[in-house]
Amino acid sequence: MKNNLINGLLGIFIALMLGAIVMVVQGYAPFETYAALFNYSLGSFFTFTTMLQNSVPLILTGLSASLAFASGPVNLGQPGQFLMGALLATIGGLYLDLPPVLMIPALILLAMLGGALWSGLAGLMRLWFKMDEFITTLMLNMIADFFTYWAISYPFFDKTAYSPMTPAINVSGWLPEWGDFNSSVIVMVLAFIVVWFITSKTVAGYEWRISGQNSIFARLGGCQIEKNYMKVMLLTGALAGLAGGLVVMAGPHRFLKGLGANYAWDGIMIAMVANNGIVATLLYGLFFSVLQTGAIGMELITAVPREFIMVIQSVIVLVIVAGRGYFAILMNKLAVRRKAKEELK
Amino acid sequence: MSILIGLLNGMITGATPILLAALGGTMTYYAGIFNIAMEGMMLVSAFFAVIGSYYYQSWIVGIVFAILGALVMALIFILFSVKLKTDEFITGIALNLFALGATTYMLRQIFGVKGAFADPSIVSIPNISIPVVRDIPVLGQIVSGHNLLVYVGLLATIASSFLVFKTRFGLRLRAAGYNADCLNTSGVQSDHIRTVLVLLCGVLCGLAGAFLSLGYVTLFSENMSAGKGWISLAAIILVNGNPWGIALISLIFGFSDGFGLLLQQYLPSQFTSMVPYIATLFALFIYSSRKRKEFLS
Repeated sequence: MKNNLINGLLGIFIALMLGAIVMVVQGYAPFETYAALFNYSLGSFFTFTTMLQNSVPLILTGLSASLAFASGPVNLGQPGQFLMGALLATIGGLYLDLPPVLMIPALILLAMLGGALWSGLAGLMRLWFKMDEFITTLMLNMIADFFTYWAISYPFFDKTAYSPMTPAINVSGWLPEWGDFNSSVIVMVLAFIVVWFITSKTVAGYEWRISGQNSIFARLGGCQIEKNYMKVMLLTGALAGLAGGLVVMAGPHRFLKGLGANYAWDGIMIAMVANNGIVATLLYGLFFSVLQTGAIGMELITAVPREFIMVIQSVIVLVIVAGRGYFAILMNKLAVRRKAKEELK
Repeated sequence: MSILIGLLNGMITGATPILLAALGGTMTYYAGIFNIAMEGMMLVSAFFAVIGSYYYQSWIVGIVFAILGALVMALIFILFSVKLKTDEFITGIALNLFALGATTYMLRQIFGVKGAFADPSIVSIPNISIPVVRDIPVLGQIVSGHNLLVYVGLLATIASSFLVFKTRFGLRLRAAGYNADCLNTSGVQSDHIRTVLVLLCGVLCGLAGAFLSLGYVTLFSENMSAGKGWISLAAIILVNGNPWGIALISLIFGFSDGFGLLLQQYLPSQFTSMVPYIATLFALFIYSSRKRKEFLS
């Protein structure tokens, strides 16, 4: 735990230093850039709440990936599940008109259903035909991308708009805001608590974790591998779908073209740096949100394009993951050397 | 008739980037490296191909730049997965994301545009028209007149099949995947073999990327590799890495690409664009059910 923390902070530090070097080479001022970056994400109450709202899809897709990887299934389909969840929630929001108390839970359920359908499809391909979910989920991502693009271009197209998008969903489906604080954060926290509870307090969570670490051992121990596999696929798909639904309900209130593009792979990256830990996913999700939210301020103040943050993020992933393996080796080496010295004495 | 010729030509064009990238990937596949960075390598090299071609007004420089770009990616892959022993899967995914971020960033930084960069001064790779053959009716229209890299792809298939199965290096590279410890104890460092192979994969992915931005079309757009690296990975898995099998599978995917374009008369373009990915799923389905039958018998 302590090692992970040190490694994480060290990795972030190294990645930011590398970023600073690149900035100096290009003639930008690194200190001012980073100051702007953090100022525009943590500097005021408004930016802080924006950062929290932006963290919702990151953390939820991150949890989806973490839970999947830790339990065995290589579900790389978060981008597609996100889009299908968002699409179903949008369609529900266009055609349903209930009082908010019913409307919001209904849309949330629809979003989760959309994601679970898409991941369940990959799960069935695995169970029935032994098709590897690692490729099927990737292909389903591309298919979902084109499918939702079609859906917002033809059947659900807003005829008054110039680019592909749906009309706004009914107001009763908009997530309430208090000041600048959007209630999608509350839904995200609830989902986090549920996932944390399932993975660390229930038998099912234990079985999933064991199946992820050693599926033969789990099978011999009496776990129903196939049932667990399907449950994990459905749950992780539902989480990614929830992320999509919340983005629609909290932000633009409609499905715009390129809605999921920004979050598409971030969840998987976050799960990787977090080493599939549930709490670590939350923390890294917040940190990535700080980077992405601050990127807009960074671009305004110092003219460093916000795409730079995409580079920084992947460098962070590489440095932390490589560091984790290498750090363990290094620690072992030091421990052995110390032991050897003691023996010599 | 002309529709058929068009379909066949579309098939060959669509197959080329997948073929080149998959041949690169199959080198690492035999050596036991789970390399999924082809997507990122292609994307980076597609970008650098445009830079080279645009600034030096030469497609040769474009290809050289493309290969250099992919080699940088290969070196990063080697640093992390071969030297630091980071998980190959994670390294690959992080590299793909790095490629997406870096090309989007540079597109904006160097050319000052978002989305796509096209310019009349980007020189594309020429088409080759083969003398004598081009005059044969029908056959000439199918075999001749393709982009230079199409023929490079064919040569690369022959070369890699020879390299893997007929040379000493090929034996060693297969040994590195089959039993690396055995290879190490017989005095050949498997890490060296792997390093060479990842670099070779970089060269081939560089060619694939150059074809994307200087052959297929003459522009660079964000994320223009659009899953082709993943499809080539699927192609490798489907035929267990055999270069000629990869050529066949690539042609099938190329056909589905051209078929999708043909369908555009009847269906919205979003559905026709799905065809290659659905074809991949279908191919995977056939592969899996065949494998299951073998297992049962």
